[in-house]
Amino acid sequence: MSWAWLHKFGSPKWFFYWSYAWARPLFVSGLLVLVVGLIWGLAFAPEDYQQGNSVRIIYLHVPAAMLAQSCYLALGIAGLVGLVWRIKTAAIFINAMAPIGAVMAFIALVTGAIWGKTAWGAWWVWDARLTSMLVLFLLYMGIIALQNSLEEVALADKSAAVISLVGLINLPIIKYSVVWWNTLHQGATFTLTDKPAMPASMWLPLLVAVIGFYVLVVGLVLWRMQSDILWRERRTSWVKQEVTKHGVY
Amino acid sequence: MTYTSFMRAQYAVLWRSKQDVLNALLFFVIVVTLFPLGIDPSPAFLTPAAGGIVWCATVLALLMAIEGVFKEDYRDGSMEQWVVSGLSLSLLVLIKVMLQWGAVVLPLLVMTPLLGQMLFLPNDDLGVLMLTLLLGTPSIFLMGALGAALTVSLKQGAMLVMLLILPFYVPVIIFATSGLQAAQAGLPYSGFLAMLLAMSLLSLVVSPFLSAIAIKASVN
Repeated sequence: MSWAWLHKFGSPKWFFYWSYAWARPLFVSGLLVLVVGLIWGLAFAPEDYQQGNSVRIIYLHVPAAMLAQSCYLALGIAGLVGLVWRIKTAAIFINAMAPIGAVMAFIALVTGAIWGKTAWGAWWVWDARLTSMLVLFLLYMGIIALQNSLEEVALADKSAAVISLVGLINLPIIKYSVVWWNTLHQGATFTLTDKPAMPASMWLPLLVAVIGFYVLVVGLVLWRMQSDILWRERRTSWVKQEVTKHGVY
Repeated sequence: MTYTSFMRAQYAVLWRSKQDVLNALLFFVIVVTLFPLGIDPSPAFLTPAAGGIVWCATVLALLMAIEGVFKEDYRDGSMEQWVVSGLSLSLLVLIKVMLQWGAVVLPLLVMTPLLGQMLFLPNDDLGVLMLTLLLGTPSIFLMGALGAALTVSLKQGAMLVMLLILPFYVPVIIFATSGLQAAQAGLPYSGFLAMLLAMSLLSLVVSPFLSAIAIKASVN
């Protein structure tokens, strides 16, 4: 198998033009799908026979929590790709992704606290999933802090890749150690193998919201990467041409 | 430079900066003292909490000790010599961290029975606590060294190392304190010790290798 296609991604310029057409449509369609999913979930889906209307926060909570974990997986893989193949775009991706993942973890924590207050009667319980999400949030903040403290771009890129990779190796261990430590939270809403325990009228809007979140985040990341590429390559002639032709975005 | 000369030099450096090691140990004692003062000095609270208190204090003290482990080498240029020496940088990092581990953890282990008495830890459980410290602290040191390597070029990196590395200590603290709680409840605890050893071995695989990458990027 030829790896030539992979090396194309190493060129920020090539990546900029390749992703140019994708970012905005993805962002807009993600936003639309998300709004559809949220309105469907918040206004039309049936309420839970036990938890009543408070269950509707699931349409925000579950997608954010899934995204928080997926973003970290992507960060770790990008860290590996950046370290092994020395692809510049991977570092740009980590730069763009880390704050988004942190925001997702934060949304999951806040909505989880609000939901917990109505369902369990407490804003916070020391349950495995809550705790591991908090640790995940702190891991994101660590990556962001490291990137912001290191002045030299090449060093900051490599350091962020290293810590993302270590986080990827350790995340399952952290997660399972916390699970053994304490478990109160309900099981995962979606698994690949089982049918969901909720009726279709509830999980369908949830699925739509999840897809909307994913597409939105992909669009957002591409967008952030493009601005980062323009900034990093600001001394090159193609960026100067680009900016003089289209103006500043 | 050879591995033995490197080891001898690092040993001499450690011996001449013994105040740093002493500071870490004193910090450990002070953190342990804060818990009875701040929460409850009665044996009813302290006996079940002793393992957690000792472990939290250990983690903080060791992180303080390891956080600046490469700073001096970076500043005086000896780190560049490591990179150009042709020796394996990962191995050099490992030697340095292990020497540091011996210098800090062995005295800490000697002090643990005393602190166990102060925290009303039953004598039967003391051995388990010391075993968890012996098996878990290599992971604490190795991961801390990775944080130190990542932030070596920063003037003030202590807080950043804490933020970066403390999340990775969650499993170690959980396995160590769960093991001690199991021992106190009369349950088998060997599984927790095995997990601690596994964590240390995993850190042994990951940390020197990635620390070397971080050091190389910092020196350039």
